[in-house]
Order: sequence, then C-alpha cells, then structure tokens
Amino acid sequence: MSVGNDAPGAWNRPPSGRAGLADPAPRVAFTAEQLAEARRLQSLYPDPRGALLPVLQMAQDAFGYISLPVEEYVAGLFNLSPAHVHEVVTFYTLFFREPKGRHVVAVCHNLSCHLAGAPEIVARLKARLGIEVGETTEDGKVTLQSVECLCACEHAPMMQVDDRYELGLTPEKVDRILEGLR
Amino acid sequence: MPRLTINGGEVEVPPGTNLIEAARKVGVEIPHYCYHPGLSVAGQCRLCMVDIEKTPRPTIACNTQAAEGMVVWTETDRVKETRRSVMEFHLINHPLDCPVCDQAGECWLQIYYMKHGLYEPRMMDEKVHKPKAVPLGPHVILDAERCILCSRCVRFCDEITGTGELGIFHRGDHSEIGLFPGRELANKYSGNVVDICPVGALTDRDFRFQVRVWYLDATKSVCPGCARGCNIDVHVNRRRPHHAEGRRVARLKPRVNADVNTWWICDAGRYGFTFVDDKTRLVTPSRRDGEAVTDVAWDQAVSAVAAALERAAPGEVAVVASAKMANEDLWALRRLLVHRGIRRVGFRIPPRVPGDEDAFLIKADKNPNSLGAELIGLEGNVRDLLAAARARQVKVLWIFGHDLFESALPEADVAAALRGAETVIFTGTSANATSERARWVLPAAAWVEREGTYTNFQGRVQRFRRAVEPLGQALAEWDILGRVLQALGAEATPPRAERWFRELAAAVPAFAGLTYQAIGDAGVMVTR
Amino acid sequence: MTAEKLLTRNFGRADSHTLRAYLESGGYTAWQKAQALEPAAITEEVKQSNLRGLGGAGFPTGTKWSFIPKHHTGPVYLVINADEGEPGTFKDRYLLEREPHALIEGMLIAARAIRAAKGFVYIRGEYVEPWRRFSAAVKEAYDAGYLGRGLDVVVHRGAGAYICGEETGLISSLEGKKGWPKVKPPFPAIKGAFGMPTIVNNVETICHVPHIINRGAAWFASLGTKTQGGTRIFSVSGRVRKPGIYEASVAITLRALIYELAGGVAGNGRLKAVVPGGSSAAILRADEIDVTADVDGLRNAGTMAGSAGVIVMDETVSIPEALMVVARFYAHESCGQCTPCRESTGWIYQMTKRIVEGRGRKDDLDTILDVARRGAGTTICAFYDGAVGPYISYIEKFRAEFEALIPN
Repeated sequence: MSVGNDAPGAWNRPPSGRAGLADPAPRVAFTAEQLAEARRLQSLYPDPRGALLPVLQMAQDAFGYISLPVEEYVAGLFNLSPAHVHEVVTFYTLFFREPKGRHVVAVCHNLSCHLAGAPEIVARLKARLGIEVGETTEDGKVTLQSVECLCACEHAPMMQVDDRYELGLTPEKVDRILEGLR
Repeated sequence: MPRLTINGGEVEVPPGTNLIEAARKVGVEIPHYCYHPGLSVAGQCRLCMVDIEKTPRPTIACNTQAAEGMVVWTETDRVKETRRSVMEFHLINHPLDCPVCDQAGECWLQIYYMKHGLYEPRMMDEKVHKPKAVPLGPHVILDAERCILCSRCVRFCDEITGTGELGIFHRGDHSEIGLFPGRELANKYSGNVVDICPVGALTDRDFRFQVRVWYLDATKSVCPGCARGCNIDVHVNRRRPHHAEGRRVARLKPRVNADVNTWWICDAGRYGFTFVDDKTRLVTPSRRDGEAVTDVAWDQAVSAVAAALERAAPGEVAVVASAKMANEDLWALRRLLVHRGIRRVGFRIPPRVPGDEDAFLIKADKNPNSLGAELIGLEGNVRDLLAAARARQVKVLWIFGHDLFESALPEADVAAALRGAETVIFTGTSANATSERARWVLPAAAWVEREGTYTNFQGRVQRFRRAVEPLGQALAEWDILGRVLQALGAEATPPRAERWFRELAAAVPAFAGLTYQAIGDAGVMVTR
Repeated sequence: MTAEKLLTRNFGRADSHTLRAYLESGGYTAWQKAQALEPAAITEEVKQSNLRGLGGAGFPTGTKWSFIPKHHTGPVYLVINADEGEPGTFKDRYLLEREPHALIEGMLIAARAIRAAKGFVYIRGEYVEPWRRFSAAVKEAYDAGYLGRGLDVVVHRGAGAYICGEETGLISSLEGKKGWPKVKPPFPAIKGAFGMPTIVNNVETICHVPHIINRGAAWFASLGTKTQGGTRIFSVSGRVRKPGIYEASVAITLRALIYELAGGVAGNGRLKAVVPGGSSAAILRADEIDVTADVDGLRNAGTMAGSAGVIVMDETVSIPEALMVVARFYAHESCGQCTPCRESTGWIYQMTKRIVEGRGRKDDLDTILDVARRGAGTTICAFYDGAVGPYISYIEKFRAEFEALIPN
C-alpha cells in the first residue's frame, strides 16, 4: 500500500492569513496602562513576538496565574495562535497555569543542595505546610515546589521564596521563614 | 549544480537540494520521520543519519545540502547502528499496540523497525502515559502515546494552512501534540495531517476501523470536487467487502502533482466520495408515468430516448450538460448535438450559494471540467434554454446530473420548465428532485467506476481511472450517448473512453495531439 | 596560582554595582580605548588573548566574533547569556549583582567589534535580584551616555528552562518561543536571533573583554595556559569547607582549588569525587584531580571545564544517589525536541531511581551505559551529551557501588 511517507515535488506557496486566531470576546484584559506597557515591550524587539515571555510575566502578575483565557488574550495581542502561546506557557516552569499561593516556596533539590540536605528541607516544609510538593495550602498562602538548580550552591541547601533567595537552610530556619510569611 | 556521490553513484542536483532528495535521485532511500518535502526542515527525529566523508560523525541528511564533491554513504556500519539506536529511542515510550492500531500496515514505525530496527527490546519500566483517542476535529483523532513528536502536523498547520491549531506542549518525555484546549482542528485541509503522520497518532475518523489497509487497492484518479482537479489515489476495499458493510471506496488520498496540488487535498474533496455507495444512486434505467416508476432495459430506454429526439425538431430539443462530465462524455454529447442539429445547450448552472475559494487549492467552481465543456463547445445560456422550455418551445429536455432545484435558479421557473417540456430525460449518478420529474432516467457511472479525463482550470487534462465496477447497470455517459447516437443511425461510436478521447483530440484544436499515453499520471496542458 | 583578581576585584566594596564605584576602579576606560580601534582590531585582540567562552563550551571568543559575515548590511545582534543554570555554577549571579557595569562595558566593546547596535541580556527568570541590579546599572549607563549612543540594551527575563542556556535554545526563547535549540547549520553568527547574524556570549566571557582591551592580549594570555588565557571564576560547592566563588588562573589545578582556596574537603574529610565543570561534566575520582582546570586540561582528563562549577563529594556521598539526582535533572530539563534525548532521559532516571531504591536489575547498568553511548552525539544540541557525561562516568568509575545496590 505504501508509496513512501512522502514523495518529491515542488514547493507551493502556502496561503497567507491566520483565520480565527484572536479570541472574539476576551474574558480578561489588561488595563490601558498595562496594554501600553505590553506594546512598549513589543517595540523593543525586531519582531514583536520577542516580548511574549515578558508580556506573559506581566499577565501572570496582573491576573495571578495564566489561565486559558489569559493565554487567548495574550495570543490576541501578538496575533498568534493560542496553541503557540500554550506551547510557551507549558514549556517554562515559572508560568503558573493554576491559581498559586500568595507565596511560592521553591526548594532546590539539585546536586549540591541534595548533598547539603535538601531532602530534609523538603520533608520539613511538607510536614509544616501539610501539603505535598506541587500543592498549595488550603488557605491559599503557600505553594510548595521542588525545583532544579537555582545557582546558589555555595549556600546549599537553599530555596527561593517569591523573589528572595533563602540561603543556608536548616529545618529551624525553614520554620522561621514560614512563620514570617503573611 | 553540485555533483556528489551517494553510495558510489554520482548525481547532479539543483543547488539547495538536501541529501534525502539527492539520494532519491539515485534510488537510495534514507529513512526519516520528521522531514517532509512540503514542509520546513525540523531535524528532530534524528533518523536520517548518513556518513559524509571528512565529517567526524553521522550527520542528518535532511538538513545537509548537497555540495560539490561530497561523498555520502548511507549504509555504513556506523550509520546502521545509529539508525537502530534511534529506532529504539523512538519506541521506548510507544505503546506497541499494533494489533488495535488503525495505522498498522502503513506505519513507518513498523516498516522501519523491520528494516532498520530489529533490536531486542529492553525497556522494562513504566512508559509515559498520554491522552488517547482524542477527537481533534470532525475528521482527525489523536493517540498521543503513539506520537513520535515529529512535528509534521504542527508544521502543516503553521506553514500550509497558516491556521496554527496544533502545538507541542510541555517538554521532555511529557511533550505531547495537541490543540489549545476547547478548540478544534477544523481547517479546510485538516485531513492532510493524517496522511503526513508517519505513525498511528493521527488517524482518520471516517476511515478508521473500516478495513485493514493491506486489503486496499489503489487507483490513480482526479478529485471531481472542484475546478482544480487535485490528483488522488482512490483506495478501494475489494478483497474484504464484508468488513465495510458494502462501502467500496474506503478513502481518498492525495497523489503528488507538483503543478496541481503538491502533496495536499482539501477535506471537501477527501470526504466528498460518499455518494458513490449511497442509497440515492441510480442503478437501472427507468421510465416514469405519473407516480409509477418502471425499471426498463437499456435497449428500451435508449430507443425511447432516440425516438423522442427524432420526433422533435432540432429547435425543440434542449440539453443541460454538466461540467461534472468527462471530456469524453462531453465530446459524445457534442457529436449528438451536431448529428441532430440541436443548438439549445448549456452547462453552467449558477449555484445557490457561491462556492468557497481560497488562495491555496480550493476553487469556487465546484465542477472538475468547466474548461473542458467550454473548449468542447457546449457554452450556452441555460436561463434562456429554460425560459424556452417554460414557453413550451422545448419538447425534449435532457438534463445531465444537475438538480436544478438546488441552484440559484428560481424554483418556480425550474418547475415550470420541467412541466413545459414534453419529455424530460435525466442522466446522472444519483436521484434528486430533478430526476424525479424526468420521464426517462438513465443511470450514469460515478467517476471512480469508469475512465475519463477532466480539464482543470489551468487547462491541464488529467486522467482518472476505474477503481470499482459501476453500480447496477449504470454506464459512463459517453456509453449512454454512444448508444443513443447509434439508435439515431449515426456512424460507429467508440467502445472505449480512450477512443472517444482520440476523436476529441482529432476534432477540437485545444486537444490536438493529446493521447491518454501523453497525459500519463501528471496530466498535460491543452493548447490555447 | 591565585592570580590577580580581574572580575572580582571590586567584590569587596558594598557599592561595587554602582557606576561610581566602577568608574573609580577604572571602569569604561577600555571602552574609551576601544572606540579608537577598528572593529577588526578589537576582534583580533580578543583572539590573541586566548579568551575562551566561559559559559560551558569553551569556544575561542574572538574566533566566534569573526564568523559574522563581513559584507552583511542588516542588523547584527549581541546576546548575553545570563541564563545561568548549570548545576553547581553561580558565578554569573555574582557578576550581575556586583559588577554589572563590567558586563555593560564589555558589551559596548563586543558590539563595536561585531557591528551590533542592539544587545539583549537574557537573565534567567529566577534571578530577581541580579535582574534588578543589572537593570539599574543599564539605566545608569543610559543616563551617563554609555548606552543609547550606538548600542541599545534590552534586558530580557527567562521563564524557567535550563535548555535556554544553550545558545540557540536561548535565541528561540528570546524570539518568544519554546526554548527549543535550532538545527545547525545555519549557525547563529550567520542566522541567529530574529534571523540576523548573532553572537551569543556568556556574562563572564564578556566581563573579561574590558580587561583585555585595557591591558592587552599578551598580558591576558599570559595569565592562563598556552590555549586559554586569563582567569575565571570557579564556583565551588558540595562537601568543601569554604564553598563559594574563587577567581583564579584557568591553569590552577583542581587540587589547589579545593585544598588551597576552598579550604579542603568537608564531610568526613576524605575526598571521593569531583565534578569539575557543572553537572554535565564527567566525574573525576579523588586520584584524578591533579590536572589544570583549563578547557584543554580537563578535556585531556576525559571531562570538561564547562562552566567551572566544581562540586566536591567526600567519601560519605552515595554516587548512585548523586547520579539519580543528576538524571532527574536531565529528565526534567530535556526540551523534548530530539527523540534520543526526549525518550531516554526519563527512562535512565527511572533506572537510576530503581537502583537507588534497591529495585535494580542485573542489566540496568549496562543498559544505561549502552543507551547513553548510543544517544551521544545524535542530537541537535549538546544537552544530551551533557547528560551522557555523568551517566557514563558515574557508573564506570564507581560501578561497584552501584552493583552493591542491585539485589542478586
């Protein structure tokens, strides 16, 4: 039956146009200021698409996480297929596709931190927070993650709490850090 | 033009040709999954490795352009080992569910495993699980576990249709192809992703589980769905008819023609064949008296039609031809018109809804042979012709294929015209509201049941071949018209489509010099 | 072997990240000097200096610059790889936070050499403080007129993917796509970011450039070995008494680095193994550390200098467990583009995990070795070869330790 899984021939120009890409009625939207910032970011790149990661970061800050409607909205801003925005959002670890806690605690579990006792740190966090890695506490306060090298191995074990690196962890220090979270 | 050596054979190729295409020229097949000549190079399946002299390790052929003096070897031990390894990598997380997979028999994992794999499986761990049996759209269904992530389908939607429905989500061994949640794969060319999927990940919802592919036979044909005439293969289930409950045409697949459709066809054409085995097919000649319909023998129908034509003066006969008829049919009709001196003819029926058209393959004219009908001289004003019938100036009205009620013509005008003619004759493959008003119904064979040629909008004359026997007593229109011509005492008429075409070529300058042999598989342009 | 400090010379100052501090230590004088030099002369100087890429691949920097097509008339881009992520490496974090103007000055000079008018600095998304510090420095540089007069700099943040440290993965990401590395050819110098000729250099590499211009290629070359000039910042972690960054000649031996600079082995004090160049480098046994840590020295030792992330293991460390951690990392970070890497990193992690958990099979070790050897060199980028380094070396050098975990 088979006649080769393709066969030779000439190239035919594909049609232009990107029908049906933008969401007709976006359920989320940037404020005028945010939109202006998104457009400014797009103008920094030779192709506006270069600003996709920064604009998704903005969207995550604005909407808390990147829901499917947010993906569609951003796709509209970039005249991209929502599938291509979904590819990007699912590829990178810093994009949250579900509501996250008010604080994100990301413990490094890579080699140097592992050698310095990262498993104990993770165990302590799980016990104190009462959740597994990847989960968010019921009160919505903390999302716990176990992540690859954050490149602060000289202070292993370490973790990132939101924007901050917390270094040289001990179980006791972990307790104090958790207590400090509002 | 760079000249290079592949497995000892010299070949000269145009600049920019990659090694897979260069190798084809010397009859060497380099196995590959992600490369497709109609799409950009992705280089991700890693199967098309070859050895190039003075290169330290095997290199992918898809992303290597032929260069002057290059010496390429595709079957070194090192290349064969690499291929074997890459085959193993491809199958690590594959479910190996060939017995229940519809791709079995035309799966390039199976084919290449037998040719290039044949290793002892050693993956004993839990495989990665992914979504299965996910309908992507009206025509395509996905099994993500069988997917080898070659990205051909994604590139098709990005580069060919420009619709971008598909993506590869997540990463590592959790990567999977899919749609943006909630959307569907419903572009006008979606079925092509099934053709280019080298494995059982994307299968055809219409075709799957109908019949195993090794029971299918392929016949070269042309799509009758619009004026482009995309080249196709008709896949027919002759050997296990019980498997598909009497459905003879299993599926249509695009056939490459660089000048017409490249590698692709549209969904309307791909799935437009169901009328062939539909209950509405006309299978015996019949005569209608009021509500009563009587099946008649061909001889009886032919002499009755001939008699009706003879009874009427040439000016009292009107013929609505169809651009769905083949050149051979139209030439037979032309001969009949000339023989009887009939002048009232036309073939363009305005559609109720204008046909859709795009800048790629789809043409607004949904007839495969409008240019042929024009060149053969059947142009005429159908509205005037029907007006004459309404004015009772037409005794015999012969309609080919059309349902005049399904057109932009006012329904009342059509009904009045059909009432106005003494004898209405209908010739077509399928019953419709028009055929139901005809006194004589002469069943025509569908395009897959006969031979013929169409002239596409570019002026390319293309052959279609018989894939199945005509249903019931249906005959090709040239055959029906030939019989009527003989009954009218005309000179001998050809017994085969090819001979009709020869007559046509001798008579109509645009077709001068053309033969079936010259037309071949790729078609030939008419002279204009 | 503790050469003069170049990159870290100002790290003692609390305000080392400010323009004022940088100017006080002679900052931007190299840029003054470079402005009088022809682009080709700058490239030649960097070539002569034997500066090699310090991000991982160790490619000669000047040679890389010279790949930009001579007669190209459109835009050329300079992209700084600040997507530090190689496990065991943390030097660029320090440079971004404490010496951001050295990077900016290096960019000015490099951009002149390759005729780029636009530079992108791709900083990994997790680096918030380094991003803030560097962005503030960029603003200072604009205000002071260093930037914005021939070179514009865009600071771009990543979003969490190790593969974006691979130069073409980084370019894909910069273009707003998944960080899938690109098939080569074309190489970035011919067709890189946004389809234009592009040079991608590591932070530390570019921070060296002002020193080379200021003090000359010969001087810089003399700091290192015959084939690699200068100093570099070693990131030392794991079981050492004084983990941290150490700037030293590239010609320092691993032994001197561990025992003289980093205070010796912690844990039980007895060295078992060293990973010399980030987790992708093949592991060395305790008796293999009397080698120089330059690109060629470590290559000759069967491993690589990589990013100079030195991870030290004492005798109490379980090598199988370490391999499991490393294998988990490669399984998690494989981008999924090429089949060998995508399909086997997860499988190999499963096997190492089973072994560590006491559920290993007799054939597992040979299967891992065979699969890794077969996959090596078959993929678009060097990620998989980086995974193969530890897969093979951990098992080959500590096989008995693995076998002891596999039930009979």
